[in-house]
Amino acid sequence: MVSVMEIYQLLPKTNCKKCGLPTCMAFAVGLLGREKTIEDCTPLLEEAKYEKKLEGLRELLAPILSADATETGMIIHDEKCYGCGNCVVACPVNVANDPKGTAIGRGPVSGKAILMVEDGVVKCVNVDECRRFGPNKVLCSACIVTCPSKAIEFI
Amino acid sequence: MAFCTGCSLLCDDIEVDFQGGKIKKTMNLCRKGHAHYDSLGVDRLAPAVDGSSVGIDEAVSAAAEVLAGAENVLLFGWGNSTLAAQGAGVKLAKKLGCVIDDPSSYSQGLITEKILAGDFPTCTFDDVRNFADVSIYWGDDPSSSHPRHMSRFSYFPRGEKRQRGYEEDREAIVIDVRKSPTAQIAADGFFKILPGGDGEFMEALMATLGGKIPKVEDKKKMLNLGTKLRKAKFGVIFTGPGLAHSLGGDLAGFASLVGRLNELTRFSVIPSLSDYNSRGFNQTLFDKTGHVNGVSFKNGVDHGPEFGIAKYLDACDAVMVVGSDPAAVLPGTLAKKLAKVPMVAVNSFKNLTTDIAKVTVPTAVAGLEVGGSALRADGLRVEFDAFVESDYLPDVEVVERMMEAV
Amino acid sequence: MAGKAEVTVITYRGIFQEVEEALGMYSEGYRDQSALVVLDKGEVKELGVEDGQPVILENGFGKVVVTAKLSEDPHPGVAFMPSSPWSAQLASGEVGEDGILDLKRFRAQVSKANEAVTTIEEIGERIRAA
Ligand code: SF4
Ligand code: SF4
Ligand code: SF4
Repeated sequence: MVSVMEIYQLLPKTNCKKCGLPTCMAFAVGLLGREKTIEDCTPLLEEAKYEKKLEGLRELLAPILSADATETGMIIHDEKCYGCGNCVVACPVNVANDPKGTAIGRGPVSGKAILMVEDGVVKCVNVDECRRFGPNKVLCSACIVTCPSKAIEFI
Repeated sequence: MAFCTGCSLLCDDIEVDFQGGKIKKTMNLCRKGHAHYDSLGVDRLAPAVDGSSVGIDEAVSAAAEVLAGAENVLLFGWGNSTLAAQGAGVKLAKKLGCVIDDPSSYSQGLITEKILAGDFPTCTFDDVRNFADVSIYWGDDPSSSHPRHMSRFSYFPRGEKRQRGYEEDREAIVIDVRKSPTAQIAADGFFKILPGGDGEFMEALMATLGGKIPKVEDKKKMLNLGTKLRKAKFGVIFTGPGLAHSLGGDLAGFASLVGRLNELTRFSVIPSLSDYNSRGFNQTLFDKTGHVNGVSFKNGVDHGPEFGIAKYLDACDAVMVVGSDPAAVLPGTLAKKLAKVPMVAVNSFKNLTTDIAKVTVPTAVAGLEVGGSALRADGLRVEFDAFVESDYLPDVEVVERMMEAV
Repeated sequence: MAGKAEVTVITYRGIFQEVEEALGMYSEGYRDQSALVVLDKGEVKELGVEDGQPVILENGFGKVVVTAKLSEDPHPGVAFMPSSPWSAQLASGEVGEDGILDLKRFRAQVSKANEAVTTIEEIGERIRAA
């Protein structure tokens, strides 16, 4: 899991505000939440002395920016997943959207579930319904704490 | 919708897209169930006698010959057979006047017998989902062995009286010698015991329930557990192989604990059986004889440990193994004994046992290639259909044809 | 270097082992998931045993070579092993009065191995041998 501090250490730390935010710390938070991109920090790109930092930052953020991560930052490690469906049944969105299926321990029946087990491993669809998504996001962790194998991770 | 015969939960909400002999896509199958479906074409058994391939009819007659020519026959396995095949198996044992047994004779049989005899209260998985507020997994790691156990029934789903699910409405208690994946989920509900320490843990728990201070390191945690169990409205104990092997033949301590819990509140026992229809065999034999395993039909009905595979290997002169792999599971020294007995192996797939058999008879995979019925680990009867065509014989037909031939 | 440590081996089932078993027990995948033993890192250091390297497990009942997995969490005197044809070679063949076998627990000696992990074919041959 990447932390804000790790990102901050790789920024210019000048609080120049060119990214549109008041501090480099705020920008680090923005990067982690994927509201900002590295390109928003122009000094980092343009000034040669930051070259090493830029390289480090790209490396650090690569998993967050990779195609694997959904828009909520969810990464599913297929190779670890048991397909047990614990996360599917525990997810509060599934419980609310699919009361006759996943909420009572069965496969989804409503077409509105966001987590489901396909080919023996979990899959996330309709990611915009996840509680970690969007402006009103909350730090839900129902699909993490119920997993026997740490197959779901958020970055 | 299809059924999964990957374990004794017999999940019934499976969707499978099967094209050209291959699985294209499945929904709701756990990883283990998916592998079960996916392996349909792998390591299939072929009919053979003494290592040379023969036609199926020839294999069946050769098998009948092995059985008919022996004095002390053992029919063993049956956990991966349909109820119909199990029923035919018991009839065959009667006809041959021989011994019939399953793996429960050296593991969980005593607990299952007490459940079937009504000595331990029990309930269905659906009751668990609807009402249970305390689930105890004892020497049991369903996350690995019955992957959908916790999500379908015992911990995560909402139920009639359990509308708030696991967060507020349910407790998971895991008693095990290692921090298993199930223990990982139970977090603070995990009680780590020493190898063979199950009896000691029971005593401490009994003392706690009796209002005494338990003689354990973490007294507070044990006292808390006592309070939780006493306050439970609907408790369930899932017994796994760890518990059965640790207790051996001595169930007295466990029986008094179950008794005590039921004086205080309500606690059921459900065994975590591995093969999809282990419960079916135990019930079938129990209905006919009053015993769940190790029965001899030589003179009427005899039962005892001497008719369990571990001991009877010394006495038998022919064995038929159906849907099981004792050569892989039994201690090496016993597997060697097994290899010396003329053997018929009936199975869908090759394994170490079919490798050492004199005669091999292949069968269709139940739930995938042939329909039938089975009992879930909680005793509920389920009927399933085939969803793919197959030329293999159903297991019941193989056993019935042998019955005609002997 | 060479030495032996005495451990109590506890067997267990893991889902990836079950998956590989379903997919074919003669496969390398099944062997990788089954022919292994989880050892306490601190305990076996002196034996020269390394993570991922083969070790000999032996007792009065049998001997197998499996891959060592070293765990950081201490569990002195105890080792964990998937229950499989490999563990069965070491399980006690003594049958209790009640017919019950102790397949979950046995004592064994661990030492560094200079040979390859035992294959399922070798186990099959041993069972068949007179
Ligand atoms: S974070 Fe919460 S809402 Fe989002 S998928 Fe996981 S459990 Fe569901
Ligand atoms: S992600 Fe975890 S909880 Fe969800 S199905 Fe996979 S193993 Fe089970
Ligand atoms: S839990 Fe058992 S029955 Fe259900 S899908 Fe998995 S293997 Fe099949």
